[in-house]
Amino acid sequence: MSSILVYLSTSDDKIRRSSLEVLSRCREIADRDGADVAVVLASGSASGLVGEAASYGADRVYAVVNPEFDGHLNAPLAALLSQIVSVESPRLVAMAGTEGAKDVVGSLSVKAGLPVLPDVSSFDVAGNEVVAVRPVMAAKKLARVRSAAPSVIVTVRSGSYAAVAKEGRGERVDYSFDYAESVGTAVLRDVASAKVGAVDLSEASVVVSAGRGVKDADGKALLEKLASTLGAAIGATRAVVENGLYPATAQIGQTGKVVSPELYIAVGISGAIQHVAGMANSRVIVAINKDEDAPIFQYATYGIVGDLYRILPALTEAIEQS
Amino acid sequence: MVLNAYDASAVEEALVLRDQFGGHINLLLVGPQSAAETIRKALAMGADSATHLVYEASSDLDSGAISEILAAELSGAEYDVVLCGKQAQDTDAGLTGGMLAERLGLPYTTNAVGLEIDGGQIVVTRQGDSGRETILLPTPCLVTCSNDMNDPRIPSLKGIMASKKKPISSRPVESAPDNATTMVGFVEPPQRPAVTMIDGTDEAEAVERLVRELKNTSKVLQ
Repeated sequence: MSSILVYLSTSDDKIRRSSLEVLSRCREIADRDGADVAVVLASGSASGLVGEAASYGADRVYAVVNPEFDGHLNAPLAALLSQIVSVESPRLVAMAGTEGAKDVVGSLSVKAGLPVLPDVSSFDVAGNEVVAVRPVMAAKKLARVRSAAPSVIVTVRSGSYAAVAKEGRGERVDYSFDYAESVGTAVLRDVASAKVGAVDLSEASVVVSAGRGVKDADGKALLEKLASTLGAAIGATRAVVENGLYPATAQIGQTGKVVSPELYIAVGISGAIQHVAGMANSRVIVAINKDEDAPIFQYATYGIVGDLYRILPALTEAIEQS
Repeated sequence: MVLNAYDASAVEEALVLRDQFGGHINLLLVGPQSAAETIRKALAMGADSATHLVYEASSDLDSGAISEILAAELSGAEYDVVLCGKQAQDTDAGLTGGMLAERLGLPYTTNAVGLEIDGGQIVVTRQGDSGRETILLPTPCLVTCSNDMNDPRIPSLKGIMASKKKPISSRPVESAPDNATTMVGFVEPPQRPAVTMIDGTDEAEAVERLVRELKNTSKVLQ
């Protein structure tokens, strides 16, 4: 095997943790199979991130320094990745399954002539096949999928692997790329950033998440107090987003973000399968709900049946004191 | 057969656009004979006509193969916008739209939660990783729709009656392209350990026990 290519997505001048997770997994496969790991960094801050990419296992770093990549348009990124695929001829192209990546892979697949195994929770190279496991039917089942193509793209769910520091050679390849030529006809007019809380949801090791039981500003304040005490990110169900209590960037589930933190606290969440699909792989799940028959308790590690307006302040206080 | 929820949002968005700006909505489906029922449902919502590419084993085809069949059908056709659901609600793959756009050479965007027309351009709001992105696309273009875009209408009795008279052009897919990926089988997700229930009637006692468990048993708190 020659090489594995990893696209590293950045946010706020940092490499996303989900991208480092994918890089770590690829380093592991490459070490076993005697291959190189090449990575692509395309962002205004790409130069400053070469060292970090190397420290998580990158042997070659294609650094494309251009702030235009920080505002997302799919055509230039698909064109760039397709070009680097033709330079590297990698056995595997892997990337974190962010909304940005999902927007690019369809086009990249056709441009580069590579099939895609999308949204996988594990992947490997086995003989002449790339094999993977992907949650389907709102994560109720796991499908085993494979491709015998000579080169295959995988997009990977966040939290599927641990990000582990391991030095790669870190050779920088300055790749010149004509952004204007590849941008095509689409124009990015605006990005309305909608951050919730101080911690990024897909990077967080603790998530406190609001369901329909959180009814008003008071409930929201209690939840946010707990989140800040725990240093947690804030999530929400689709119902809560629709009610306007939180923006869609906080939405967890089949159509929102997929998270798998160490600790997930589900507050007033009934546990509809569409929501569970986005959080069922969390290591420890605490559910607080007044309805003892709520389906969320089937997935929980610990369940408290009670009124969240009384439980939340007591829990915040108990954590502060401990 | 049910209409995929994301596809229903695409149909709804098409209806809104047509009712505002005029035009004609043609539905395009690759699927078995029995999927004609699904087409009727979308016609009953208000679409004008449909093309049914009949392939009995369509669920064995991967996104690459499906997008190739769709692209062959649409190449040379005239349209302003191709709307797709952002993913299938069973496989959640979400690839067909982007693949189809690339095969047709169309600009596209995915995961749309809003769509407007402004001076002949399509203005798409898409849910990105850190917020909502507003993207302008010229026509023709392709957009994949989120279920957060709208609430698809329930067909009225009048709509259902009218749908029976709407034309469906139905013909077989003679030879499907080869799959590049294969679904081998299913495995059951790992079972989670049984839940430990804590009575919350006395909240002080309940949270004290919870914090103790989180520290000592689960070791997620310091």
